[in-house]
Amino acid sequence: MRAALAVLAGGAAWLAAAPAWAHKPSDAQLRLAIDGDTITGRLDVAVRDLDGALGLDADGNGEITWRELSAGAPRITAYLERRLTLGADGAPCVQRLGAPALAELSDGAYWAVPISASCAHRPRSIDVSYALLFDIDSMHRGLLHVAGQTTILRDARPVRIELDETTSAASFVKEGVWHIWIGIDHILFLSCLIVPAVFQRRTRRWAAADSLRDVCREVFEIVTAFTLAHSITLVISAIGLVALPSRWVETAIALSVAAAALNNLLRTIDARWAVAFALGLLHGFGFSSVLIDLGLPSHELIGALLGFNLGVELGQAAIVVALLPVVFWIRRTVAYQALLWAGSATVAIVALLWSYQRYVA
Amino acid sequence: MRPFAPDAPRPGRRKLTVLALGAVGLAAALTAAAFVTPDRAAAAAPTYVPGDPAQVIATVPPRDPGEVAARRELGSAPDRVELAVELARGDIARYRTLSDPRYLGRAQATLGRWWQLAEPPADVLLLRATIEQSIHQFAEARRDLDQLIRVRPRDPEAQLTRAVVATITADYAAARDSCRAIAELANPVVVAACEAPLDAIAGRADEAYARLARLVGAARSGDAAVRGWAMTELAELAFMRGDSDAAAAHLAGALALDPDDAYARNLLADIWMATGHTGDASRLLAGREQIDSHLVRRAIAEHDLHGAGAARLVAAMRDRIAAAAERGDRIHLREEARFTLAVDLDAPRAVRIARDNWTVQKELADARLLAEAAVAAGDRDAAAPVIAWARATGVRDATLDRLLARLEVMR
Repeated sequence: MRAALAVLAGGAAWLAAAPAWAHKPSDAQLRLAIDGDTITGRLDVAVRDLDGALGLDADGNGEITWRELSAGAPRITAYLERRLTLGADGAPCVQRLGAPALAELSDGAYWAVPISASCAHRPRSIDVSYALLFDIDSMHRGLLHVAGQTTILRDARPVRIELDETTSAASFVKEGVWHIWIGIDHILFLSCLIVPAVFQRRTRRWAAADSLRDVCREVFEIVTAFTLAHSITLVISAIGLVALPSRWVETAIALSVAAAALNNLLRTIDARWAVAFALGLLHGFGFSSVLIDLGLPSHELIGALLGFNLGVELGQAAIVVALLPVVFWIRRTVAYQALLWAGSATVAIVALLWSYQRYVA
Repeated sequence: MRPFAPDAPRPGRRKLTVLALGAVGLAAALTAAAFVTPDRAAAAAPTYVPGDPAQVIATVPPRDPGEVAARRELGSAPDRVELAVELARGDIARYRTLSDPRYLGRAQATLGRWWQLAEPPADVLLLRATIEQSIHQFAEARRDLDQLIRVRPRDPEAQLTRAVVATITADYAAARDSCRAIAELANPVVVAACEAPLDAIAGRADEAYARLARLVGAARSGDAAVRGWAMTELAELAFMRGDSDAAAAHLAGALALDPDDAYARNLLADIWMATGHTGDASRLLAGREQIDSHLVRRAIAEHDLHGAGAARLVAAMRDRIAAAAERGDRIHLREEARFTLAVDLDAPRAVRIARDNWTVQKELADARLLAEAAVAAGDRDAAAPVIAWARATGVRDATLDRLLARLEVMR
């Protein structure tokens, strides 16, 4: 009876725990891109998984320190080299793992290692032979991201990913649109320039603009100037003519937002297109760092650049088109005054705080 | 000016209105187009290199020398099933205490040599069924348990697991058989706790509650896990009868026995949220968000309270749902439906997820969820499977009865 109860105790405990699916099951992320005849990318594997496979917790105390992990690095590299092979169109490529670092994902630290494989020619398909971890964890999954599509690797069987040549330029357009919309500093900068456009200087004083056409012309000038400016710097830094440290670029972008907002309050410079051009130069450097992070394929540089820039312009146009009619509509109301003054003041303060944060970061 | 339309907008204004509406529509459409882009996950996380060698990068269970030795032994003699079973049991125990699904996958891998066999050894069958049940492969689990019971009819763990799986999949006759089989093998509290949900679903929650309460009261001491389980069952019965105070008291008792009892904690949070004590529910779950079923409840509670951490919790839950979808898992359906209903306020979508969930599992909580989503969506037909189930079983549950009554008037 006691034996039965002991067994049952285990049973009862899991009856109670059954629905609690916790943490995350084991995933590894493998992101690949094509750059000429080279496959480049990064592999992220959970540190806890590597410990399960290789026993990295040297003192066995349950805490894997950076020291223990660094000491295990050669074994990790050997393990990954043995179990991950990339090829192109059925032929092997010469594969190399780069210097590892850590990446913090939602369920903990991952071992992040750059990977590159030079192939005989530009791959039309990628062969991935991925045999990590399945032998110790049947629920492990390799998530292979190539050319905007994700393949779930459920076992060690090799897979072949056909590459669609036309996707990349289109995907860069999407990235461009996406980037400007999640980049709150670009949105604020543009808004600071556009919101006052419904006011125009008449002789010595400011008054609400009468015609939408005049307003549109001014906004068009501003947007064109901003576009030209950031396109110039985007191109020269994406092709590597100028490389600025991202900390300085990010700080300067925050300062440019503050400057645009302060200009609304102080009304120092009437020609907002000039402001848009001068400060827009900074934003281009910011765009280019995103593009580089995306893994810019050097042979498709022009397509990617054009696509990304087109995306940025589309995203920006959508913002203008959404914002302008509203602002024009309310230009004679108190709400507009509140938006202009309180909004600019808030943006100026927040942007100054950002620049401080980015500077010290 | 036409006489009947004195307030008609001037042509210029009308043009501007049309322009503004068109502009907003266009911008919204563009925005939507970018947000449905499927490859958002493609962006890699930034990397860093720690400066301090002593920095702890990850926490794992401390090494167990016995386990290491057993693994080494299994490595040199890979067909020693008793070793594999012992190791897999350890992994499953770790899964239960840590609520970390990784260890289920490890248990499965440890049994890999026998996993695909049609007729593996009985011990492997039990563990395979346990793992399948944990990842909601109920049909597979049931098949293995039926097979196991044919060779080992007097295995209480097998019968108890079978009773649970059969209850979840609404095969109440089979569940009843297994509970009866346990009657000869275990103490009366276990048997009563096994039968209580079946009696309750058959509309006899009052009797089931009285019987289980009497037995738990009589067995003052006894195994803590069995006691905690019985108290959780008592709480479910009390809540079905509409007595949320008694339910909360039982759950407090279960949590006093085992603070890591995730099931009891969730149930208490649910009861508190249902009775307007949302802040208490959130505090009950605070700091335990690594468990998805805790996270989803806390995110909903903080969202309802407009709490400071709401945005972070909601984002974390979205991440978990996206991560599960990315690897092709669909075992989050219950959580996902609930979250969609409470946070996204997207009742039609919640209905779809809750219906998918109902095809997998049919517990009272799943019935309530689908009924609640159908009420929110104003869609009586969506709840048809639950209405039919309630009719067929004769279940009486305060929450479900209220929801079904609201669906009734929607006709």
